[in-house]
Amino acid sequence: MSKFTLNIVVGLTLLMFTFSSCKKEKFGPQCKNCEENAIFPSIQNDVIIVNEGNFGFGNATLTLYNSTNRNVHHGIFQQANNYPLGDVAQSAYYFNEKIAVVVNNSNKIEIIDKADFTSIATITGFDSPRYFLPINLSTAYVSNLFSNKINIVNLINNTISGSITTNSNWTEEMLIYNDTAYVCDMSNNKLILINTTNHQIIANISVGIQPNSLVLDKNNNIWILCDGGFNEANAQLIKFNPTLRTIEQTLAFGNINHSPSDLIIDNSKENLYFINNHIFKMNINDTSLPTSNWVSNNGEVFYSLGIHPITQEIYVADAKDFVQNSTISVYKNNQQLSHQFQSGINSGYILFLP
Amino acid sequence: MKLISVIFTLFIVQNTFGQLLNDTIKFEPFVIEELAVSATYKTTNLDAVTTKSVENLAQLLQENSTVFIKSYGSGSLASVSFRGTGAGHTRVLWNGISLNSPMNGQIDFSLYPTPFFDKVELHYGASGLIDGNGALGGSVNLQNSLPNFNDSTKSAKLNYNYSIGSFNKQIHSGKVAYLGTKKWFYETRILHSEAENDLVYYNFAKKENPEERLQNAALKQYGFQQAIYKKIKNQTIGMRFWYFNSDRNLPSTMLVEKNDETQQDESFRLLINTTGFKNKISYKISSALIHDKLTYNNKLIDINSKNNSLLIDNHADINYFINDKITFLNKINIRHEQAKADGYNSEHKRFNNSWLTGFSGNLKRLNWTVFNRMTVVDDYFKPLAPSISLGYQLPKLEDVTLKVAAGINHNYPTFNDLYWTPGGNSDLKPEEAKMSEAGIKYHKAFGKTTIATENTFFFAHVSNWILWQPSAGNIWSPTNLKKVENKGFESTLTIKYKLNKVDLSIRGNYAYTISKNIDLPKNTDDALYKQLIYVPQHQFNANAKLTYKNTSLSYGYYYTGLRYISTDNNWYLPANYISNISLSQDIKLKTTSFNLRFQVNNLFNQTYQSIAWRPMPLRNYMLTLAFKL
Repeated sequence: MSKFTLNIVVGLTLLMFTFSSCKKEKFGPQCKNCEENAIFPSIQNDVIIVNEGNFGFGNATLTLYNSTNRNVHHGIFQQANNYPLGDVAQSAYYFNEKIAVVVNNSNKIEIIDKADFTSIATITGFDSPRYFLPINLSTAYVSNLFSNKINIVNLINNTISGSITTNSNWTEEMLIYNDTAYVCDMSNNKLILINTTNHQIIANISVGIQPNSLVLDKNNNIWILCDGGFNEANAQLIKFNPTLRTIEQTLAFGNINHSPSDLIIDNSKENLYFINNHIFKMNINDTSLPTSNWVSNNGEVFYSLGIHPITQEIYVADAKDFVQNSTISVYKNNQQLSHQFQSGINSGYILFLP
Repeated sequence: MKLISVIFTLFIVQNTFGQLLNDTIKFEPFVIEELAVSATYKTTNLDAVTTKSVENLAQLLQENSTVFIKSYGSGSLASVSFRGTGAGHTRVLWNGISLNSPMNGQIDFSLYPTPFFDKVELHYGASGLIDGNGALGGSVNLQNSLPNFNDSTKSAKLNYNYSIGSFNKQIHSGKVAYLGTKKWFYETRILHSEAENDLVYYNFAKKENPEERLQNAALKQYGFQQAIYKKIKNQTIGMRFWYFNSDRNLPSTMLVEKNDETQQDESFRLLINTTGFKNKISYKISSALIHDKLTYNNKLIDINSKNNSLLIDNHADINYFINDKITFLNKINIRHEQAKADGYNSEHKRFNNSWLTGFSGNLKRLNWTVFNRMTVVDDYFKPLAPSISLGYQLPKLEDVTLKVAAGINHNYPTFNDLYWTPGGNSDLKPEEAKMSEAGIKYHKAFGKTTIATENTFFFAHVSNWILWQPSAGNIWSPTNLKKVENKGFESTLTIKYKLNKVDLSIRGNYAYTISKNIDLPKNTDDALYKQLIYVPQHQFNANAKLTYKNTSLSYGYYYTGLRYISTDNNWYLPANYISNISLSQDIKLKTTSFNLRFQVNNLFNQTYQSIAWRPMPLRNYMLTLAFKL
């Protein structure tokens, strides 16, 4: 009896000990490789990888990369600000020594300081923001999913100051040329032209099914990549003349299953790159789509594409199973793999800092 | 490490007593219905008393077993997994009828309030094959007790419970049972519960971690269950109808500012069965109709999605007692599954039929069961899914039983896997689990103390594991390309001590689970040989209950080890350890009795998350008044 009681007491005491002796409290998701040492601001930190994370998991992060010494810092937003970036980081834009990070499912945009990545402002009130485009020093446009609005953001006091109502339910990538903003309208298969002086819609130009990305070339033509939807139509690459507002060339992809994305252009504004399972490269003077890939995916899942403005190296993310850290591969101009580094979960956007 | 030492100490307690005292072997009376799962497999039984002290099935399993509960928060979706498998590998049966949705193969455990059943039995690993196909981890059996027609003490019984708790929670439940003349039995159960669930939490996702109140989390559930049974000689015949309705708002994670999501669930379940025995044959024939409706609404993005499923399930379990040593087992299951969802191009139907045959018996000190389940699901035909289990009572140490079991089970692709548009893959193969376990069971009563312990090692290999991954054009699509190895150790220990008017009972459960990818589509994948996400390696819970006369004090401690939330194991949720305490007072009058119970949950006010960025309640309270006539 006494031995029994003793054992019970010892057992229960140890039990109590288990919950009272835990050292440092940690709450919520923890990231092992998100370094705890301070990030030293450096002008050589020239690449930011925007990692979406998983929908609902709140594990969106920013990876900082130095292309000279190849140092990688993970989870820099959390480090600099002591709170997580949010749920599903979609894109980022550099302007005026600041970086705007669009956090889609958190319905916010974090404006962070380029020097130390601390948050200058958190702009809230969006519907499902996708991309950010400054149209002048004091104003920016924000495209949205599940909304017919393009938000107008006041960059002086960092608030939403108004909106432009479109017919669209999903606006995607945008670019500005002269006094006009060109917006991809994914839901109506249009290119929306907006006068950036009075924020009025000038025109809705029909393009291919689901225009997702666009770039401006050296001849001041706009190239628009349309993914074709889910087996709806063949994907198209369209050359649009913004001066005449006419489509000058339409190149259709041969296979209905093809769903190209991530159209980018190099520094000379002459060579286009995009992902269509593999990486493809095409000159702006070409009159047909490339027949063979520039870099094969070799079983990887290419998820985003970027081109370094100075080294002209191509950065491509492999999202793997989408529930683990992506690997970024850096390819030289001669198609040779230069090196690789690890970033965060679902690296969906690659931003190069000047 | 600390946890291990606790377990170790508990074993010392057990071993010391094993040597000190001696007692006779307890004889378990033979009950026909209980023959379903041989004691040679690992099972856990949760009786009516345990069942009544919690709100729903998720909480019941959380507090009394080491199966893993993944909960989105108070009143929100909760799924259960056994031994490192997925939520779709857990079968849930109601009086023998599988309730799993043919659409996603899963069950939301928050939709099963405990007043609707009397007992819960957990079947682990290979034993789940007895309940049907698909239980690659195990199965949860909800049972309604059959009336005791020989009970002549009281013909009418009334129970009523009222609970009031934090977050504006109010639960009413009641049961009326009447045992009429000529062996008729009527029973009605009702439930109504609501909660605002507007719990307060610290938002670690925001600057300065502000205190916030959870928005859009209100919940309302109601339902009733009606049973009518009649006994004719050695046969019982009757029906049970169960209606259940749940309407809830779905709260967002801490990182999302706005949301307006709701979910309505409605279930109609009708069961007709007859049980009995004649000569050397015992039988149980049942027919059930299960209709589930789920409506999801998201006003912000204008989504209204309706899902309907219908199951017609027929069982004939016939056992033939060849002699007092061998029983012939025979179970036939004819099941029709049908579902319609906005994600399908059309309504889908299929048969899911199987036939189990086997033998169970004993040979001196050896108990054995061997059987095979043959299955036909649509075009899939699996003639072989065998299972065997042996239990051997040691000759000199009769309190000790050694047990081994092994078996194969298949889980068939769900309608979502096969037909979801876009992405569904009609070429999928069934998932296959090869399971084995070995354990030691010890039970001894000596004097005023009873000790029972069971320790089991398990090993399982799941191949053709269905994995949804993005394919061409970023369309998510399922494939059979994953192989997983699960292994681990489960231990339970119960100590009961009685002295005059004092009753002390202590129960501890521990599980160690390693669940790893051993083959993936790409072997350069960093998920290879890593622990699966949301599978804790360590889980431990303990309950101590001290009763003096009509007063009892209970203390529960629940530890969940860290869970990885990315497949490369770079992200994880830290371990959490929650304590609950309750004080209960019985007041017995002549014909009526009352019970007043006060419970404090999360006694030490721990901040924790069961799922990333879903806040769980801090310290909260519940007062329950029960009335019995």
